Amino acid sequence: MRSSTFRTGTNMLVFLGPASFFLVCLLLAPIFVDLVVAFTDMAQTIRINEFTTKQFSKLVRASEDAWLGFELRSSFYRALSLSAVYIFFTLAIFNLTFGLILALTTTALPDWLGGVYRAIWLLPRMSPSVVYALMWIWVVDPTERGLLNQVIGVLGFSPINMKLDAPIVLIVTANGFIGASIGMLILTSSIRSIPEHLFFAARADGAGSLSIVRHIVLPALRWPLSYITVFQFLALLVSFEYIFLIMGPARSTMTMAMLAYTKTLAPDIGAGQYAYGAAITLILIVIGVFVALVLYRLANMTRLLMSPRIEVQ
Amino acid sequence: MANVELRNLTKVWDQVTAVDGINLEIRDGEFLAVLGPSGCGKSTTLFMLAGVYLPSGGDILFDGARVNDVEARSRNVGIVFQSYALYPNMNVLQNIMFPLRFQETRDAAAQAREMAELVQVGELLERRPSQLSGGQQQRVALARALVKQPNLLLLDEPLSNLDATLRLTMRAEIRRITRELAVTTILVTHDQLEATTMADRVVCMNVGRIEQTGTAEDLYLRPDTLFVAGFIGSPPINLIRLQASQRAVLDVPDTAETVGIRPELLHSAETGLPVTVTTVEPMGRETLVTADSDLGPLRFLEATSRPKWSAGDKLHVSFRSQDTIVFDGAGQRMSDLHAAIG
Repeated sequence: MRSSTFRTGTNMLVFLGPASFFLVCLLLAPIFVDLVVAFTDMAQTIRINEFTTKQFSKLVRASEDAWLGFELRSSFYRALSLSAVYIFFTLAIFNLTFGLILALTTTALPDWLGGVYRAIWLLPRMSPSVVYALMWIWVVDPTERGLLNQVIGVLGFSPINMKLDAPIVLIVTANGFIGASIGMLILTSSIRSIPEHLFFAARADGAGSLSIVRHIVLPALRWPLSYITVFQFLALLVSFEYIFLIMGPARSTMTMAMLAYTKTLAPDIGAGQYAYGAAITLILIVIGVFVALVLYRLANMTRLLMSPRIEVQ
Repeated sequence: MANVELRNLTKVWDQVTAVDGINLEIRDGEFLAVLGPSGCGKSTTLFMLAGVYLPSGGDILFDGARVNDVEARSRNVGIVFQSYALYPNMNVLQNIMFPLRFQETRDAAAQAREMAELVQVGELLERRPSQLSGGQQQRVALARALVKQPNLLLLDEPLSNLDATLRLTMRAEIRRITRELAVTTILVTHDQLEATTMADRVVCMNVGRIEQTGTAEDLYLRPDTLFVAGFIGSPPINLIRLQASQRAVLDVPDTAETVGIRPELLHSAETGLPVTVTTVEPMGRETLVTADSDLGPLRFLEATSRPKWSAGDKLHVSFRSQDTIVFDGAGQRMSDLHAAIG
């Protein structure tokens, strides 16, 4: 009996040990550190002089008229709004809709052609971020050298400056073209796992291509779409890499994640406010957990994780 | 309902010929079974009839009209798949009603309920496919295929996922329903019992070609080829390759290469061919005995549940000359020729 218990213990240690170590050191510990730092006065150095809530008072201020007794300061309100707009449109237009369109079209093509097309869409993801960002900087260059301006110039329009005139469109598009490829891959695999006989049966039953998509394919993609929504929401909530590389610390695209980064680590632009950045990050974590739980519940993800949902019978 | 005709129908996948120029006519209201081993081209033929696959050559005619280029959805063909292919996101009623979405139908729900009653799933209309047993799923698939009153009903190994008892019931059910609706039906199966018990006529296919078309009795008692003789029948026919030693025992024409005799047509006797029993297999109602002889190993069935023989017993077996089937070197049956113990 003792040997069996010992063996169970060692097995747990061997199999779960590395994952637990990773979970604690790289996920839980940083959240804990962030929680502590958010309630300190840490700035410029990692020294803590006092524990305080003053970092949060930089984000909100007391207001007797407000429903909750406080209101958001404008910079924080702006960052929250920009994050919401950025996440919603990137997720809705690109990660879900465009990913779905890519998956549907590439699975309808002959195998080799679909494969080539998908590989092309994966190129941005395979390229270094800096290269991808540089490409976009060239595309939206406000002078006549910019690819976009060259194209619209041929069509007879005046040059535009997307960075100034449509910064959100720019970051949504740049992030979207990369994000769509993940949706495309997951949805392609899901479409391929729908039994071929269902398509044959639907055809014989009289369904056309659009009816097949509506009645056979989309219902089968409910679970993958739920997964992509939750996963990509969380990814977008904390992403700032391409925004920073393309736009820099511009106020027009200062999302929550960008704000946290610029206040803490971005050199020469007011960085070093570690406690303030930690407070913003803590709010991001709370929002992420809350929205993920809501989506988890709405999408009934528990069922998704319990048994394979792609299999039909 | 329709007359269906296949003229020199061919399907080639890359370098492989799946269906090799078959010709066949199916009469209006007939129940035809296409029987053959895996990979013989029977399902490919079925899917060409359904419009799922395009033929590489030849013609498919429904009531004399060529339908090669007619899309599956416009052919008015009902199909039941081996997997049943029920739509998992729809309940039973929605599954049965699905084909009616694409037709101008006055009261689709009423028609679907009527069809559900016919196949006896009227109590299960609200259930999802995952909540049904194999037999129930099969009935729903049948109702879905029939609800639009198809010109042609195609059944692709519809019983192969059912247990033996249910299979027996569903065989009779499918036959009853197709007779009641008088729908032209083609059943594809590798199970000879299904084919011979359900169909008016059986087509036996091998490597993309039709080996023989006829009644179940024709295929069993008068197989045109060695393949049909070997494929039909369980336990399988005794096929005796004629070497010098066999010719010394049997009285057969010189041009004959193989002699076939069904196990149930061989019987133990006072005189005849001496054999030594090697194995005895009780099969319930009958006993299958395998014995060594000068003709090689022979199987024969005895109509008893209590084996009379055991391994090592020596006895004689005999058969009637007219029960033998003689094949030439090309594997074709030599009509009116038989073999006898010399």
